[in-house]
Amino acid sequence: MNYIQLEKLGEGTYATVYKGRSRTTNEIVALKEIHLDAEEGTPSTAIREISLMKELKHVNIVRLYDVIHTETKLVLIFEYCERDLKKYMDAHGDRGALDPNTVRSFMYQLLMGTAFCHENRVLHRDLKPQNLLINRKGELKLGDFGLARAFGVPVNTFSNEVVTLWYRAPDVLLGSRTYSTSIDVWSCGCIFAEMISGVPLFRGRDNADQLLHIMRIIGTPDERTLRKMVAESPEIQIKQWPRYPKIAFQQVLPKASPQAIDLLERLLQFDPAKRITAAEALQHPYFTSAGLGSNSGGVPAPYPSTQQAALIPQPAPPGQYNYAQPSQPVVVYNVQVAPIAQPQQPQPQQQQQNGFGQYPVVYAHPSR
Amino acid sequence: MSARPTLYPLASLSQFHSTPSAQDSIPRHVEDDLRAYGCKLIHQAGILLNQKQVAVATAQILLQRFFYVSSLKQFGVADIGMGALYLSSKLEECPVRMRDLINVYDLLLQRAAHTVASASSSSLHHPAEFKYTPMSYFGNTFYDLKEALVVSEMQILKRLGFDVQVVLPYGTLVNYMRLLGLTSRNEAVSMAWGYLNDALQTPVYALYAVPTVVSAAILLTTRRLGISLPSSPENCWWELFDVEWEDLWSVCGYIMRLYRERTTAEQVEIMGLLSKKDLRQWLEGRIT
Repeated sequence: MNYIQLEKLGEGTYATVYKGRSRTTNEIVALKEIHLDAEEGTPSTAIREISLMKELKHVNIVRLYDVIHTETKLVLIFEYCERDLKKYMDAHGDRGALDPNTVRSFMYQLLMGTAFCHENRVLHRDLKPQNLLINRKGELKLGDFGLARAFGVPVNTFSNEVVTLWYRAPDVLLGSRTYSTSIDVWSCGCIFAEMISGVPLFRGRDNADQLLHIMRIIGTPDERTLRKMVAESPEIQIKQWPRYPKIAFQQVLPKASPQAIDLLERLLQFDPAKRITAAEALQHPYFTSAGLGSNSGGVPAPYPSTQQAALIPQPAPPGQYNYAQPSQPVVVYNVQVAPIAQPQQPQPQQQQQNGFGQYPVVYAHPSR
Repeated sequence: MSARPTLYPLASLSQFHSTPSAQDSIPRHVEDDLRAYGCKLIHQAGILLNQKQVAVATAQILLQRFFYVSSLKQFGVADIGMGALYLSSKLEECPVRMRDLINVYDLLLQRAAHTVASASSSSLHHPAEFKYTPMSYFGNTFYDLKEALVVSEMQILKRLGFDVQVVLPYGTLVNYMRLLGLTSRNEAVSMAWGYLNDALQTPVYALYAVPTVVSAAILLTTRRLGISLPSSPENCWWELFDVEWEDLWSVCGYIMRLYRERTTAEQVEIMGLLSKKDLRQWLEGRIT
């Protein structure tokens, strides 16, 4: 193998992750080792992760460099990131809560990564702090695509068993199988609130309890909303719930700025059709009007161990995301030091391709 | 959402001109018929397993792609079909139990073997009725098939470089039929749908983009039913979908060749070549 295996970083249900170093470039990488089970063949999580991630190249998505396939195991070689958002919050937050500028930086990057997935027709389906990785430069990257799937023309219904409970959208909790990008947007909203307060927003014990936790804060939806949701996804099961009034997010998250509250409101809509898209969320005034956070004074780097300023990917070129003021660069984060890495633009999945397999692959083109 | 083309791999020109099986001197018509039979087995297994059509169709397309990177001499078409169906069931989130899939394939393979055996025996007038013999409890059949299944799945993934995204044509068909104002004619809709499903037994989904295959199904349907659509230059309906006439015609050819009458001898010959062992023997027999 072209990589030296270093210490173990973690162990999951189907894989073990090690730190590794490339023999050729000395670069530090993460090695995810998946054992091939004779009872089930290649795990579907691994199949999904590889087939989707090898095409998703973006600063805010963990890069899959290589796959090593042997008789007994599969090793995925990933870009190395120091820690996940959960650990980052524990280490740097004030009882888990991050300062407003870091929250804004991370939220922007989270939405950038999510928007890129959606633009490339991939649903992540398991966004949560443990799956968001933070590197030394303060870059946030979406990782663990084990539950992700591609979506296209809807001819199919999807599995309902997705997303860790606390970050699962209400429509999925109600049984929807025709969900789309909006389920990732809900998770982004939950993560946003968690970064502000330091604790998960909705902490249910099971499916039904999770729904109640959601309704206790955003209120029980009215009949009309529920009927509309059933009409759009007939597999949804409606029950009788206590009629909870909506609580203002400002009350739940007293530290959040009005603009943060407004964005959160749009992300956490009970009706999936009303939820803002990730691309739209990136144009929200919370990001586009600088220095309106409740603490807009000093600007600490999100990763204090390095003196480098946080990186905010600059907005994509005009036209790409339809910014409100395309000619004006959006100041998302007032950096003390010039950004060290050039922000990468989302790269469309276009390569020179020919044929199947080890050969580069040809993509379908209408006038072939 | 930005209008980006849907991405799925297609065979390259060189893969198409010289398939790995052709390089192993397997005649083209044998390769085509074996591919079709492999897909037919997937279809039958799918029905017996009560599996969703999306998984069946995905498996058939994966099998067609696979034999553009591998030879039938190296991988039996039945084994790859079994692996493809197992894999596609995971991809489409409707997994099947290994045991069920193996039992079903055991039945289908025994039936094919029975047909071959009774054709070669002299009792042509009274072929013995097929009776399925379940695997013996302590026999090796199960373990052999399971090994073949796991290896096939892994080989498909490896040789296709994990490029296992498949785009199915059904949604596109509905859109096109609507655009052409054909949805009110039920027979046209179901016939076109049927052509798309039959096309799954040909390599067209690995060779042409979905709009081309869908247009071919519509062309065959409208000709068959005598429905006229604008078809003279400057006003050709397929140009609406960015489809070239040559491609369209070629896909129709693949589909129509599938319906060519085969003699019993031809059919039996193909059924006897489902494993790589049988195919190798047959190839040796041809040379000597």
